[in-house]
Amino acid sequence: MKVYIVRRLLALIPVALVVATVSFVLIHLAPGDPASVIAGPDASREDVTRIERQLGLDAPLPVQLGRWYVQLAQGNLGQSIFLRKPVTEAILDRVEPTLLLTLFAIVVASLIGVPAGVISARYHNSTTDQVFMALALVGISVPNFLAGLLLILCFSVWLGWFPVAGYSPLEYGWLKTLRSLVLPAFALGVVQSALIARIARSAMLDVLREQYIVAGRAKGLGERAVIYKHALKNAMIPTVTIIGISFAVLISGAVVIETVFNIPGLGRLIISAVLRRDYPVIQGVVLCIAGVYMLINLAVDLSYLAFDPRVRYQ
Amino acid sequence: MLARLARRKITLIGAALMAVMLVLGTLGPVVAGNPTRMDVASRLAPPSAVHWFGTDDVGRDVFSRVIHGARLSLLVGSAVVALSLVVGVSCGLIAGYYRRLDNVVMRVMDGLMAFPAIILAIALMAALGPSVANVVLAIGVVYSPRVARIVRGSVLVIRETAYVEAARALGAADATLIGRHVLPNCLSPVIVQGSFVFAAAVLTEAALSFLGVGVPPFVPSWGNILSDGRLYLQQAPWLVLYPGAAIMMTILGLNLLGDGLRDLLDPKLAGDSVHESRGLQTQRAN
Repeated sequence: MKVYIVRRLLALIPVALVVATVSFVLIHLAPGDPASVIAGPDASREDVTRIERQLGLDAPLPVQLGRWYVQLAQGNLGQSIFLRKPVTEAILDRVEPTLLLTLFAIVVASLIGVPAGVISARYHNSTTDQVFMALALVGISVPNFLAGLLLILCFSVWLGWFPVAGYSPLEYGWLKTLRSLVLPAFALGVVQSALIARIARSAMLDVLREQYIVAGRAKGLGERAVIYKHALKNAMIPTVTIIGISFAVLISGAVVIETVFNIPGLGRLIISAVLRRDYPVIQGVVLCIAGVYMLINLAVDLSYLAFDPRVRYQ
Repeated sequence: MLARLARRKITLIGAALMAVMLVLGTLGPVVAGNPTRMDVASRLAPPSAVHWFGTDDVGRDVFSRVIHGARLSLLVGSAVVALSLVVGVSCGLIAGYYRRLDNVVMRVMDGLMAFPAIILAIALMAALGPSVANVVLAIGVVYSPRVARIVRGSVLVIRETAYVEAARALGAADATLIGRHVLPNCLSPVIVQGSFVFAAAVLTEAALSFLGVGVPPFVPSWGNILSDGRLYLQQAPWLVLYPGAAIMMTILGLNLLGDGLRDLLDPKLAGDSVHESRGLQTQRAN
């Protein structure tokens, strides 16, 4: 098991190198000379050379790439061109809303998805099952930003229950924060719950076909005990996995949803950086999210070890 | 085979939805009128006999814009499928067949897949600049590795089969082996994946354009219409409702069709098993 964990960690290194290289290449993908692209069409010659020097674009390409790796290894993401502060600082300033939104959304998604899936499996092929699965199919067909717009239309514009947009930081009280995140979290979570419901249902159906379930019923256990005590526990393994994966999916979903609700998180940061051609910020946010995404996927893989003793990795 | 595909009613619904979209997207723009003509006198007009879906904030006809948006979505979807299949299948074949190249190719693919799809697409759009071709390129780069991984998996199995070994023993060249024996046998999962890449491409294009980093603002796209509509939710909800319905119907149609194709071509994955991960593929892709 230890060997497996170490091997998984080592396997991260080449992937991380590719990730770092791809984010380095971004700035050079733009047609023409990157410094003048960043400076914009009306920049003066001095501005272009200043940016060139600031970003180290005057060095040969391999040197730039080498410096980039060293810089990253030191945890330094460079300096924002527009915000005039370090990229790490800009990211830390914006992490709170994105993180809270993602966590809230995962709670919503699990609380809707898991029970819906379990009920669907318990009443397999009944009307309830079919209605739930039809809803889930519609659910995975709705893009999250559209769900967000529809929720605003319904609950803010027509019913007036929630603020139309905006975010109240934690320092003004967590209740206000929670309220400002209800609609965005549901927009993200409801869509994701459709996926969780489908997986939970399949997992549950698989488990219900097992011998020990038959044995449980044969010895006279009630349906309730069979479902909730014996089946549910084992069906949780794939379900927890998909919840972990959902977390990774929801972080990038949050990036989109933040624009719908005007939430000043990482998503707004990267989009405004794109519009201002602030490449260091774009690279920083992309790297940061890809890093988190990789770590979560690793954690999900490793969680198999903890959940299922039958799993033996060579 | 088509009869078997049609036996499932739900697949038929998917096919019907896609047929409607196809007709609207190809023939619609001819009849729908000019999507960029501004009629400033009737700004934000509600749906009526003249403007079926109402007008937007500069008096453009929303019906016409949604129809032209359908054409754009179909165009982007099919171009991305073509691009990612060509690149993904080639990389997957090379990685699966030539073991020495496997490591290099797949590490690059893993690296690209380490980015969440929408984040990589945004970053690529930042570098490439807004245009329809760049949207296709960016989304194509995002989804090619996902196709490559599936193809490589099939190739690894197929290259060990008796018929490939027999062909090799008879002296077939690598190109013949790959083209005549390996490739045709790993196409079913690729076709299934194609329908999900199509859905993901339509969604990603809409998301990018909605965020303002996709196709240029003057191009009628569902994402662009929604992005305009966001600011007028109160006065003009039709700006969101109609393009929203169009996106939902398209994605639903593609998902249903993809499910049907999968049950037909990839029976191992069908049924009520944990491996019923169709949704997982699309969603993880996002």
